[in-house]
Amino acid sequence: MIPARNHVTSHGLRKFTALLGLTLAAGLAASTAGAVDPSRIVDADKSPADWLTYHGSYKSYHYSALDQINADNIRNLQVAWTHVPGRSTRGLQSMPLAADGVLYYSGSYSRLFALDGATGEVLWTHFPELNEDLIATQTHSPYNRGIALGHGKVFVGTVDGRLIAVDMKTGEPAWDTKLIDSEKLTVGFTGAPLLVKDTVIIGAQGGEWPSRGPIFGVDAATGKKKWEFFTVAGTEEAKATWGNESWRTGGGGGWMPGTYDPETNAVWWGTANPAPLYDWAGDKWQKEGPRPGLNLYTSSVIALDPDTGKLKFFHQELPHDAWDFDSAVGEFLNIDRNGRKLMVHPNKSGFIFVYDRSNAEIANVWRLVQNINFVKDIDPKTGELIGRRDMAAGKHSNLCPAIPGGISWNTGAYNPNSGLYYKVGQEWCMDLEVVKTTPIVEPQIQLNIGANFQLRDPEGGKAHGHVSGRDPVTGEKKWEVNFTEPPLASLLTTGGNLLFVPDARGYLRALNATTGQEVWKHNNGVGHNGGIISYSAKGKQYVAVETGWGSLVGDEYAALFGEPYKSMPKDSGALVVFALPDQPK
Amino acid sequence: MSPSMVPDRRMACWTAAVFLTVALAGQALAEAQPTTDEKTKTEQAEVPVNGEVLFATSCGWCHQQGGRAAGRGPKLAGSKRDDDFILNRIKRGKQGAMPSFEHSFNDEQIHAILAYIRALPAQ
Repeated sequence: MIPARNHVTSHGLRKFTALLGLTLAAGLAASTAGAVDPSRIVDADKSPADWLTYHGSYKSYHYSALDQINADNIRNLQVAWTHVPGRSTRGLQSMPLAADGVLYYSGSYSRLFALDGATGEVLWTHFPELNEDLIATQTHSPYNRGIALGHGKVFVGTVDGRLIAVDMKTGEPAWDTKLIDSEKLTVGFTGAPLLVKDTVIIGAQGGEWPSRGPIFGVDAATGKKKWEFFTVAGTEEAKATWGNESWRTGGGGGWMPGTYDPETNAVWWGTANPAPLYDWAGDKWQKEGPRPGLNLYTSSVIALDPDTGKLKFFHQELPHDAWDFDSAVGEFLNIDRNGRKLMVHPNKSGFIFVYDRSNAEIANVWRLVQNINFVKDIDPKTGELIGRRDMAAGKHSNLCPAIPGGISWNTGAYNPNSGLYYKVGQEWCMDLEVVKTTPIVEPQIQLNIGANFQLRDPEGGKAHGHVSGRDPVTGEKKWEVNFTEPPLASLLTTGGNLLFVPDARGYLRALNATTGQEVWKHNNGVGHNGGIISYSAKGKQYVAVETGWGSLVGDEYAALFGEPYKSMPKDSGALVVFALPDQPK
Repeated sequence: MSPSMVPDRRMACWTAAVFLTVALAGQALAEAQPTTDEKTKTEQAEVPVNGEVLFATSCGWCHQQGGRAAGRGPKLAGSKRDDDFILNRIKRGKQGAMPSFEHSFNDEQIHAILAYIRALPAQ
């Protein structure tokens, strides 16, 4: 039995009795409007009052059709209420969800909260008891990046390798399933789960941790594992792409939630990078080095059958990734254009890949950022890397982008009214020395980087970021706004023709979605590194944003940009909810 | 479930909940076990006791330029901290900032990392 603060702790009959009551309660709850049947997620466009899944809907738009708040009245927008979750180590990094007027979100240590969406009043909390000794050994600790709703439950992963379900009406535990031996493999789950029909899908951390980066399908009703897909050598075909049995320490993973295409019954997921990050074999990587070969299915987009976990099709965005520019970004925008059904996916390298939604064949590839030299280009017709910069052991100067990538893990947004895709780009480079290393797998796995490095300004300019509005298929730029430091939070666009940009310094900014002109800002007092949504409660529109600073990318800012990041706390965060003032009665 | 659910579907839901209870109870009464593929366990290649290599394996992620510059973590070259402090910090870490490495590195390896840090020129 996995311990939890409000878990059933007795044995035998008491446990059975408690579960009986709990399950019957869950069964009754499932018959109410608040249960979130999976069909509601498929039809999320029809219920703009809610935000039922991480990406807003399976279309991954991060768009709310609500338009009470718009460019004409946003000057009146003000804080409606705030919730402070406590113990916000490395800030809040999750995506709140909203259903039927209730707001649900997770904080660090996978703490769960259900709040009245209109007042912020706490309805219930659930604080799972985690393996704190294990957390002390984890580099990615102990933030949590979100939850899933469905079948009357709230689902959340934990950094000690568990997937937990609680009743969404009461917060009482429903099931608690250990999926990963995190005590051995060090990594667990930080990313949000994705509910698809009767299955909860969640991907493990991995990347530079030398394991096999599994993605799991779990029965939403019982918590029983249905399937497990290894992003490293998940098929015999893939195993042949890892020379010298290097798949055993391959890395991989899928640490951000992808999406689901109901038309093809395919779950699209982005996978993480192989280990070590940098390959001392240089241009001899096909035959030599720590992981000779293509290293399937790392740095790839994969399409899985949600019922069986079987691979349907895939595209490896970076064959033999030697730069840590993985595909783990979870956005998969459904865009229909000229009779073609497309899927748009950002890669960490700063390139945006556009796929045929039926088979992941390349439809286009375009650049979001300017400072790219790890390849000369990527063929927009085939996706082939042109002019790879493979770096052998030794010193190398001015690799662009730097290790945090041209694109980070938080999401962009697409507004179907403006037809624009909004995305943060990051402009920075680094010097590095590639070093031959040996993976550490006993007694506990440790990360395998294979280099020392230092971030630097791009040649001829300063490191910076930008938010642009572009055609999602061609990349044609309509407008761009520069930021002295790249914003690291997710974006939100609305039916009020607004784009919300939570920036790194602490300002929540609203831009005109058509022009990029700033129309409002509010200082939340600490940087943003998490999610933002809009929802409606009691007929009123709200915008909820998470604050709090500190992440593997944000931690770079103190050395790179100085203040306010040198003094910015990394142990605080809050959920701040905005609304227009009530009309005088 | 839909709010317009008809009564016979409610009964079906109730019945399903009873079956579900049995299934859940059976699961909860069994101890949860890790199920990740055992094939991930592999013979460890000999990890050299070489502070420079160990640093580039797991430390250079945060302490940039091999510890010569600040990054996610502080600059280590020329550190005024005494040996006991550095050894203890590598073993125990710092909550929310640096992981503990006592389960990954043995004492000999940790001392090799310390020797590497001490050999860095204090620029």
